[in-house]
Amino acid sequence: MKNKFSAEERWRLGSLPDPAPLAAAYIPMQESAKPQYDAGKALSRGTLFPGLDLPFMNLVNPELERTPMTELMAIDFVVDELELYLDTHWEDREAFELYQTMLAMQKEAKERMVRLCGPICQTDQLGMDAYRWLNGPWPWELCERGEG
Amino acid sequence: MFIYEKKLQYPVKIARPNPKLAKVIISQVGGPDGELGASMRYLNQRYSMPYDELKGLLTDIGTEELGHMEMVAAIIHQLTREMSSEEIIRSGLDTYFVDHTAGVYPTAASGFPWSAASMAVKGDVLADLNEDLAAEQKARVTYDNILRLSDDPDVTNVIRYLREREIVHYQRFGEGLRRAIDRMNEKNLYIVNPSFDRG
Repeated sequence: MKNKFSAEERWRLGSLPDPAPLAAAYIPMQESAKPQYDAGKALSRGTLFPGLDLPFMNLVNPELERTPMTELMAIDFVVDELELYLDTHWEDREAFELYQTMLAMQKEAKERMVRLCGPICQTDQLGMDAYRWLNGPWPWELCERGEG
Repeated sequence: MFIYEKKLQYPVKIARPNPKLAKVIISQVGGPDGELGASMRYLNQRYSMPYDELKGLLTDIGTEELGHMEMVAAIIHQLTREMSSEEIIRSGLDTYFVDHTAGVYPTAASGFPWSAASMAVKGDVLADLNEDLAAEQKARVTYDNILRLSDDPDVTNVIRYLREREIVHYQRFGEGLRRAIDRMNEKNLYIVNPSFDRG
């Protein structure tokens, strides 16, 4: 199994305990949060991490058209992916620092989106001139906010 | 508790209605391996977990699955708009339509309504995490099967995204299991149930 992967493909592999107690299942631990896709590619692939990018029949999505909404979705997605990674890799300082950077970008992107299209959370309405929460479109509807 | 973000995790914009596709994709809302089952499984398992990282992981993945349920529901909602009576009959969606019109009802493609019988909360660390690994694989296979049945890129792009999430969740639950095993008695992982026995 090891011989099928070159040194450059280290990121496809994770670590296992050796030897390991019997009668348990062991999934290899992802070793690092790097390498990683940029936010737009991560969103279109459904993962931040190339090692976990395992498409059915090798068919992959094209990258999404860039709109204010998809930009926010991409940043939100990287934040979500880092949170799940940190849930099992809470000691990874490098990943935590990246998470901090992404949180700052997310705050800015969300505020921009709220100014453009109205509240994303109810509490975004602080300072607004009227109760805008009910305004459409709602997320399951065909026409997306931030796209006209 | 839960707050709601008025946006999807990934966009759902289906240009062409298709009730025939809706008939199978509904399984990912209310079927045995669908997103509703996934979120209920994880969000309910977290209460009996003894370790913080498992409480956190199950909360976070369970929450994400609710967002996925919303996305699949959005697909169904958009696929079932503007249907003529002929299309409803021809697509075979008539047996769903008669009871639910173009509403989104959590059921399997077979017509079997969503049931907690399709999920387990065993109250044991090893049993529950292994259940979660199996659940993610089953969800992934269901998405593979939907990809075989659809040729509409508006739909398949979303399905590919959701399928990849299942693979990532599988990896994270596997890592959660590794972390749990690290905390347990390596000479005998089964000596007690850390979810129930103290010490």
